Amino acid sequence: MAKVEIPSEVTGNVWKITASVGDTLAADDVIMILESMKMEIPVEAPEAGRLVELLVRVEDGVEEDQVVAVIET
Amino acid sequence: MKAAVLREANTPLEIEEVSISKPGPREVLVRPVAAGVCHSDLHFMDGSYPYALPTILGHESAGIVEEVGSDVTYVKKGDHVITCLSAFCGHCDQCITGHLSLCASPEVGRMPEEAPRLHKGDETIHQFLNLSSFAELMLIHEHALVKIREDMPMDRAALIGCSTTTGVGAVFHTAGVEPGSNVAVIGCGGVGLAAINGAAIAGAGMIIAVDMVDSKLELAKSLGATHTIDAGQCDAVGEVKELTQGGCHYTFEAIGLKATTEQAWQMLRPGGAATVIGMIPVGTMVELHGVDFLAEKKIQGSNMGSNRFRVDMPRFVDFYLNGKLHLDQMISKHIKLSEVNEALAALKTGQDARHVIMFDQ
Ligand SMILES: NC(=O)c1ccc[n+]([C@@H]2O[C@H](COP(=O)([O-])OP(=O)(O)OC[C@H]3O[C@@H](n4cnc5c(N)ncnc54)[C@H](O)[C@@H]3O)[C@@H](O)[C@H]2O)c1
Ligand SMILES: [Zn+2]
Ligand SMILES: [Zn+2]
Repeated sequence: MAKVEIPSEVTGNVWKITASVGDTLAADDVIMILESMKMEIPVEAPEAGRLVELLVRVEDGVEEDQVVAVIET
Repeated sequence: MKAAVLREANTPLEIEEVSISKPGPREVLVRPVAAGVCHSDLHFMDGSYPYALPTILGHESAGIVEEVGSDVTYVKKGDHVITCLSAFCGHCDQCITGHLSLCASPEVGRMPEEAPRLHKGDETIHQFLNLSSFAELMLIHEHALVKIREDMPMDRAALIGCSTTTGVGAVFHTAGVEPGSNVAVIGCGGVGLAAINGAAIAGAGMIIAVDMVDSKLELAKSLGATHTIDAGQCDAVGEVKELTQGGCHYTFEAIGLKATTEQAWQMLRPGGAATVIGMIPVGTMVELHGVDFLAEKKIQGSNMGSNRFRVDMPRFVDFYLNGKLHLDQMISKHIKLSEVNEALAALKTGQDARHVIMFDQ
């Protein structure tokens, strides 16, 4: 079991969280959607795993490279 | 309604039957007449920019108001409008300080707990940049459109919705090009050609167009370029420096590449300013030689030409109608919604300026 940290690729705000801690995710499953300069940018699981931590809440601001979620593979 | 849906990056858009909500209090239902196909649509289709999927691309359009929400007084059914992705809330600190194009307020869209504007049964179809114009109807915030005069042809008006506003706005607002200053524009697509036309209106001295496609360089001349450089045949930076005897006052990157952004920087004279319009793929870093900062060179981004579109777009309409803005040459082809994939593929070759979708009325 390895923990994989998932960073945001952009600076923006959390618009919607679409997965819950404990969910089993396939690679590319969407965990949350960020809003950045009018774009709805998804944060996706880089590989299959279980979502073990969500580090942000709806409406939080996030910076580029900030870890927003952790999965266990 | 019919719409061109992107379900997965790097797969063709599919024409599907999609449902659209009723206008909320501050929303407007618009029936697009024309929609341009912009390279930004391609960036999201090919995944160089990620987007929540499925979505309906398209963000450069003009149309007719079909229905308005209960609180909307600015437009009424039948009005001709141009849409703009720079939807502004009007009361955040960016809006209040005059930077409407930087407004990031989520209230111009629907909140996650509200029914989505676009859907297919239970499935949410994400609205693209608050617009989604590759569709027979658009449901948008009242602050995502501007009324225009009815003698303006709608296909030309659509271009003002993105490429004109982006290119001309980058010259007028972001850079503030002064009469007599020398300008280089790298990339002569819909956006770069608009920047060239804008530089001519602003009274620039030399206007140097850089591209790798001959027909684009010819088009650039007809829009006001005084010099052209085929970047495939020579060292574009060296040529610009020679022509201007030391570099430009203003340069514009209108492609979205690391290499050409660095060229825009290298083409500057001391004190000059480079404006990056192109969408550089997420994750790409740009390198500048640190010593150049001693020469007081500047580099900045430009989002939708730093617009105040409710003021700018009607002016651009007047510019077209009085012959200053040359939108006729910008349209290479009129197409149907079902031909949108061919138009996106054509953008990859750089051969054409703009393809414009005409909707059946
Ligand atoms: N910042 C904004 O608000 C904003 C708005 C709209 C579009 N854009 C971006 O602007 C860019 C241009 O959009 P467009 O619709 O005009 O694109 P386009 O595809 O129509 O035009 C690009 C042009 O660049 C030329 N080109 C490609 N590689 C080149 C190179 N290495 N050297 C010289 N010329 C080269 C092509 O021949 C073509 O003429 C895209 O990145 C688009 O996403 C940004
Ligand atoms: Zn565009
Ligand atoms: Zn605002």
